[in-house]
Amino acid sequence: MKKSLLGSTAAILLGTTLPALACDAPIKVGVLHSLSGTMAISETTLKDTMEMLVDQQNAAGGLLDCQLEAVVVDPASNWPLFAEKARELLTVQEVDVIFGSWTSVSRKSALPVLEELNGLMFYPVQYEGEESSKNVFYTGAAPNQQAIPATDYFLEELEVEKFALLGTDYVYPRTTNNILEAYLQDKGIAAEDIFVNYTPFGHSDWSKIVADVVALGADGKKVGVISTINGDANIGFYKELAAAGISADDIPVVAFSVGEEELSGLDTSDLVGHLAAWNYFQSADSDANEAWVEAWKARMGEERVTNDPMEAHYIGFNMWVNAVTAAGTTDVDAVRTAMYGQEFPNLTGGTAVMLPNHHLAKPVLIGEIQADGQFDIISATDPVPGDAWTDFLPESAVLVSDWKELGCGMYNTETSTCVQIESNY
Amino acid sequence: MRRFLFLVLCVFCALPAAAQDAEAPIQQVMQAHAAELAKASRRTIQPAIDALTASGLPAAQTVMERWQNKEMWQDETTGLFVFAEEIDRSTIRIFDVSDGSEIGVVPDDDYKQLKPNSGVRGLIAAALVKFQLTDPSVDVRRTALDAIARDPDDTHLPALREVMVGETDGDLSAQMQRLERLLTIEFGADDAEKIVAIQSFDGDLGVDARAALNPLVRTRINVAEVAPDDPALVRLITPGDAALPKTEAYSLLVDKGLAPPLIPPSEVREALIRNIDGDRVAGVEVASLSTDAARNAAFATLVDQGLAEPAATVAEMDASLDAFQFFELYIGAPPAVALAAQEVLSGIEASVALNQTADLALDAISLASIYFLAAIGLAITFGVMGVINMAHGEFIMMGAYTGYVVQLFVPDHTLSILLAIPLAFLVTFAAGVAMERLVIRWLYHRPLETLLATFGVSIALQQLAKNIFGTQARPLTAPGWLDGSMVINDIVSISYIRIAIFILALIFLALFLIVMNRTRLGLEVRAVTQNPRMAASMGINPDRINMLTFGFGSGIAGIAGVAIGLYAKVTSEMGSDYIVQSFMTVVVGGVGNIWGTLLGATMVGFLQKGIEWMNPSNTLAAQTYMILFIILFIQFRPRGIIALKGRAAEA
Repeated sequence: MKKSLLGSTAAILLGTTLPALACDAPIKVGVLHSLSGTMAISETTLKDTMEMLVDQQNAAGGLLDCQLEAVVVDPASNWPLFAEKARELLTVQEVDVIFGSWTSVSRKSALPVLEELNGLMFYPVQYEGEESSKNVFYTGAAPNQQAIPATDYFLEELEVEKFALLGTDYVYPRTTNNILEAYLQDKGIAAEDIFVNYTPFGHSDWSKIVADVVALGADGKKVGVISTINGDANIGFYKELAAAGISADDIPVVAFSVGEEELSGLDTSDLVGHLAAWNYFQSADSDANEAWVEAWKARMGEERVTNDPMEAHYIGFNMWVNAVTAAGTTDVDAVRTAMYGQEFPNLTGGTAVMLPNHHLAKPVLIGEIQADGQFDIISATDPVPGDAWTDFLPESAVLVSDWKELGCGMYNTETSTCVQIESNY
Repeated sequence: MRRFLFLVLCVFCALPAAAQDAEAPIQQVMQAHAAELAKASRRTIQPAIDALTASGLPAAQTVMERWQNKEMWQDETTGLFVFAEEIDRSTIRIFDVSDGSEIGVVPDDDYKQLKPNSGVRGLIAAALVKFQLTDPSVDVRRTALDAIARDPDDTHLPALREVMVGETDGDLSAQMQRLERLLTIEFGADDAEKIVAIQSFDGDLGVDARAALNPLVRTRINVAEVAPDDPALVRLITPGDAALPKTEAYSLLVDKGLAPPLIPPSEVREALIRNIDGDRVAGVEVASLSTDAARNAAFATLVDQGLAEPAATVAEMDASLDAFQFFELYIGAPPAVALAAQEVLSGIEASVALNQTADLALDAISLASIYFLAAIGLAITFGVMGVINMAHGEFIMMGAYTGYVVQLFVPDHTLSILLAIPLAFLVTFAAGVAMERLVIRWLYHRPLETLLATFGVSIALQQLAKNIFGTQARPLTAPGWLDGSMVINDIVSISYIRIAIFILALIFLALFLIVMNRTRLGLEVRAVTQNPRMAASMGINPDRINMLTFGFGSGIAGIAGVAIGLYAKVTSEMGSDYIVQSFMTVVVGGVGNIWGTLLGATMVGFLQKGIEWMNPSNTLAAQTYMILFIILFIQFRPRGIIALKGRAAEA
């Protein structure tokens, strides 16, 4: 509250010294989330979140004396269409900022367009890292803000000695599992104690994989599952776990892509105690979160839940609003400069900070699934700064991203050179 | 304003807290470990738990139980611990830890809930065992046994032996005896006792038994000039075996300081190049160094002259390896125990492999029955009528959503499934008839147009489902008696829901056979598919028969949808997961024959599981290989496993 008050004071001061900004057209906010196809299951919620945030901002007086307008397009879970729709938003609709994408492949598809037209996009989902584009702010978790702390929790608190890394077969699980394999071996877990399996999107026949995981325990070591299974496939996986009678005390499962929304399609009574790692859970005990959940339920219905990517959009949108207010313009380069160091209270208590590598510093929470489909937060870290390039793969350990000082998203610290400016990796 | 209110509230909340007994002995014990309790970690919590157990206070058990249940809170200002239950989001009712008496209702801002994670809860449970083993309630005693199985320690064995004799519940008594033997293996007093316990597990397939035995037979490879005459010696190893590649054997020698490090030929060359003096190296003419042997000799001279670090070459490596004996030693347990464990394990492993095969076969049968169920409707519409219906998967989806809607109105799960099955048939039958009337009848004998039109219908139906039911997966919950699985032993088990699907598939096979072979409709269908004109001239109305057949096939797809929704999920896209497999099953089996479809499903199911078994790390690759195999198979048997012959084939 104090923050935005300060912000608006600054805006008034700017308004008196500069020639008054005439508002001849509303400020356009592009929303690039799939409303049909496989990813609609997750992304539709984010479209609704953005509309709610825009409405709230308008009710609070808009931005730079202008009203905001959400421009919604539907890239239909079709990855190349993300590039087309991003181009349409930037050239036809001429939006000032885009909030969008869920899967990494859709983000990578939109990247060249954003960089070519110097657009600005906020990406709200936890992802595999190994990327830092000048034109994207990553408000979701990098691996060191989700996967690594969760693995540490397995190693230290649950004393897991054998790991099953189960994932859906695409770029996020594969990269995350590569990082985790390197990290676990670093921590002294033998290569033969790490079991990796990839399944297709929407996989439903889990009985053999679950049996394989149970069989891992035959040598007397404690087994834990790290799941990067995405989307619908989780339902079959958890149903099979429950049918096999696997208790979270025997074989704990920590999931990186299962939140409140995904659990709402499931009977969770058999899953009590299994884990998820996120930067936000609906059960977080803070006044801001209480107000947020209330507003969401009032708008969308009592049975709807909130989740981590929604919080990422909440933080990203408010930071953007503050950056625009500070810059006094929606010009992409000015806003980007104003973004660095932006602070905004996150919904779990504490403050998120935008770092020069376009990632946030956020706390990492680990929650246990409860019978009502919510998570009980049992572990919360101090804010962890997001790391664009992981330290656990040798080829990316030497890379850093710093757009503020170095002006480079892929800077090699050994040779002190910028590897490349555009993110065509 | 808010802050002021908060302050006022806090003044009130401080009052009841002051009434609590801060001097109670149990509170004192907890205060001594306040820091560990407040931020409990499995690594640091043990002293606090030990202090609570050792205190001998009657309240200790309750404190640990309620702490484990996340019912303990800490007053952030005074640091005192209380029990609390939440009344709503911001108020709690607190109780004294020493006697459980109510202190009052307070806002929770000043209190912090202690949330032990599951690692800590396991340790608490292990400590609680000594209280719970003698508890009058069977459930509590069972909890204690589970806790021992998860986090066993050496105090559990005597405690367990003490109560084991007096256990009256038969089930629990058997569980206790098994656990006692498992604990004896780990914590038994002497080797003889351990060996007896180990031998009692002969032929046991339990994962816990193998988990107890496997650590005993751990080995380490060691090296000496002559292998010692040690009972722990497992076997001698020749370097170069699968167990010990030569390079590893050599690095073992290097680690022990028994040999110099290995140097690859490239470094020998570099060392020689570095030391070239005119046209000679180490007194040898450079031109003569054309063989490895010559270069190694020159390198040895360099080492003698102190111009290079002493290092072994590949040839020398073999020589040093031959000079030593490599052997494997038991390190997990004394030799006698390890040998006993090894003997039992070898026996177990043979039957483990056998049972794993059986489990895999069960999985394959189950998968086959799911594919069969998904494909049986298609066997009618595509197999009998020859209509390429790409919207078949969407009929499956419609059936599943019908089940979901029925569950919204009928909360009893058994009844709702019984209702859902005929309703799903009716809904998809109607949808099938409508589609036949509106789309397909105009396109008979034009397969390409049928394919495109039905594909369009399929996309439209998917989007329609999204608009009606939203994009989130919907729950279709199986009745309680289908929960869990039939456990034959720790390896072979199958969930009841899969058994139910298997039985359903058999029922539909029978239904199909009866309808096609024993009813008037079946006779007319066969007549119309073989020769529509002749059938028409015999007084059969081909239009009507086509409509009914298509409806029948679609209706069966709907029922399959209910079954598939029960075991997997209900989403708007579930149909597209099954459409490829369904066509594959029908085509591989042989178009137009239900036995072919059955064989096709069996083949596809077993093939899928077989490839998954060979390549357990990538299920997607398994599906790819399977499709490749099926393409090959179709090359050799283009009409499928059971090919129609004679006049029916030309129809």
